[in-house]
Amino acid sequence: MGGADRPIAFRALLATALLAATVLLDGAGEGDALAVEELAAGVYVHRGAQLPLDAPGHDDIANIGFIVGSRCVAVIDTGGSVRIGRALRAAIRRRTALPICYVINTHVHVDHVLGNRAFKDDGASFVGHAALAPAIVRSRPYFVKEYAQDLDAPAEPDEVIGPDRLVDAELTLDLGQRQLTLHAWPTAHTDCDLTVYDQKTSTLWTGDLLFVERLPALDGSLVGWIDAVDRLAEHHVKLVVPGHGPPTAHPGEAFARERVYLESLLQGVRRELSAGKSQQDAMLHVGADQKSGWLLWQEVHPRNVARAYEELEWEK
Amino acid sequence: MTALRACAVACGAILLVAAGSSLADDQQPSGAMWDFLRAKYYGNRPMGLVDETYMSLEVPSNTPDPAATPLTLRFADDPAARIKRVRVFVDNNPSPLVATFELGDPPVTQIDLRVRIDRFTSVRAVAEKSDGGLEMRSAWVKASGGCSVPPSAAAGGTLGEVRLRPGEDAKSLLVSIRHPNSSGFQIDPRTGDNIPAHYISHIRIEAGGRALLDAETGISVSENPTLRIGSDQSLPAPVTVDAVDSVTQAHFTASTSSPRTAATELPAPANGRR
Repeated sequence: MGGADRPIAFRALLATALLAATVLLDGAGEGDALAVEELAAGVYVHRGAQLPLDAPGHDDIANIGFIVGSRCVAVIDTGGSVRIGRALRAAIRRRTALPICYVINTHVHVDHVLGNRAFKDDGASFVGHAALAPAIVRSRPYFVKEYAQDLDAPAEPDEVIGPDRLVDAELTLDLGQRQLTLHAWPTAHTDCDLTVYDQKTSTLWTGDLLFVERLPALDGSLVGWIDAVDRLAEHHVKLVVPGHGPPTAHPGEAFARERVYLESLLQGVRRELSAGKSQQDAMLHVGADQKSGWLLWQEVHPRNVARAYEELEWEK
Repeated sequence: MTALRACAVACGAILLVAAGSSLADDQQPSGAMWDFLRAKYYGNRPMGLVDETYMSLEVPSNTPDPAATPLTLRFADDPAARIKRVRVFVDNNPSPLVATFELGDPPVTQIDLRVRIDRFTSVRAVAEKSDGGLEMRSAWVKASGGCSVPPSAAAGGTLGEVRLRPGEDAKSLLVSIRHPNSSGFQIDPRTGDNIPAHYISHIRIEAGGRALLDAETGISVSENPTLRIGSDQSLPAPVTVDAVDSVTQAHFTASTSSPRTAATELPAPANGRR
C-alpha cells in the first residue's frame, strides 16, 4: 500500500516543490525577486501563504505589494522579514526603475513591517497611522527578541523601522498621475489600522481589516472592528486586496462573511459575560458553529474569544 | 496510602524529567524549584495526587495569551474532607506563588482566574483539607513572556473599578477589577524604565455576612484581575467584594444585594484613583 502510494506522493511532492519555487522566486537576478501579480494597471500584489505565525515560511504570510505612478512607487507593507522585503524590492526593480518614494504600513504586525529595513536606503518616507509610531516603539523589544532570525544579524532595535510621516485621519499621496488616499481607522483589528485606496483603478488595500479564508485575528477592539467593516462595506470599489487571502472583485461578500464571524464573537461573549461565565467557559462555548470554511481556526479562535472577553468585560 | 501517593508524586516527577530529557533545558519541569517551594510552604508533609473527581486544574497548555492565561480549579464538596486552603503556584515565574485562597461558606467548588506565565512551566494547585491532608494537581504550560509583556494599550479605565456578575441561581460570582497589576518586570518602552510592582494584594468576598473566600494575591495575577467563584449552593445575599491595592492600601469595594440585579459598582476611594 505504502509502496504503491509512494510514486504518486513523490510526484505530488515534486509538483508542490516546483510550484513553490515558481511562486516564491521569480527567477534570479538582482537578488531573488518575489512573485507578484499585476492585479490592475500598475497595482502589483504578492500573495502571502496561509500559514500560522510560527510555521516555517511564517515571514511570507501577508499580502504585500506596490503601486507605480508616473513619478515614483509606493510600497504597501513589506513582509515578515528583511529577506522578504528585499525580495519585494527586487520584484519592484524588475518592473520599474522609478524611485520608491513611500513605504506604507497598514498596521504594526510583524508579517507586515519587518521588511521595512530593505527600503531604508531608498530615501523613501515611511508612512503609517499616527498610532503606528508608539506601537512600533512598544513592539520593538519583542520583535528583536522573538523574530531575530527574520532581521539582519545581529538583530538590532533600529532595524524595526517606524513611520516618519503620520496619518491622523486622511492623507493623499501623489505618485505622479496617480493619487493614493490613506485613511486612519479608530481601533479595530489593531490600534493603528490604515487603508490605502488607489483612485485610478478603484482598488482598496484593507490591510488586516479584511481577512479572506484565513480566520480574522483580533488584536484591537471587536466593537471597533465591526464598525470599521460596516463603514468599509459601504464604499463601492472594484477590487479589494485583503491583508490575508485572495484579492477579490466581490468585496461585499468578503466583508459580510468576516462580519458574521465577528458578530457571533461579540454576541457570544456578551452572552457568556451576562451569565457570569468564566473566560474558560467562553472559550469552550463561543463561536463553535462558525468554524467551517475558516483556516487556522484552532490557532486563532481561542485567542479571539479571550481578547473579546477582556474587552467586553469592561464594556459600558 | 499517603506514602503511596507521595511516591507517585516523586516517581511521576522522575518520569516527567526522563520524558523531557530530549527537550531543551527550559522545557523541563523545574524539579529543583518545586522542591524548594514545597519545602518552604509545606515542609516534609506528605502530599497526595488526587483524582480529577476530588480536585481538577485546567490550564490550556498552549495558552492564548501568556500574560492572561485562564486557569480553572474545581473541587468536590466532600464534607468529610473539606478543602480549607488552596495555593496556586507557577514554578518558573519570578514570583511563583500566584495566590493563597482561604475557603469559607458555602463551600467553593470552582475558582477561575487569569495568570501570567513567564516561561515554560508547571502550574500547580495544592489543597489543604480539614483533616490536614495535602493534595496536588499540576499542569504543563508552554508560554513565555507573560510577566514582562508591556501593559496592554487597551488597558485603562478607572483604577479600582469593580464589576460583579452573578451567575445562574446566584451559584457563582464573576468579579472583575480594573487594575494594571504591574508585575515589576515590565518596562515602559517609551522611557526604558522599569514599571514598579503595583497589584491587588488581597481580595475578600463575603456572602450573607460570612467569609466565602479570602485571597492573598500577587504579581502573577494578570492585568485587570478576574476572579470567578462557583458553588453548588446559592450564595447568600448580599455578596460583597473588598480588594486591596498593594501600594496605596486603598480598598476597592462592590456589593450585590440582590443576586439577580445588574452589577453594582461603588466608587473607589479617592486615594485609589490615578
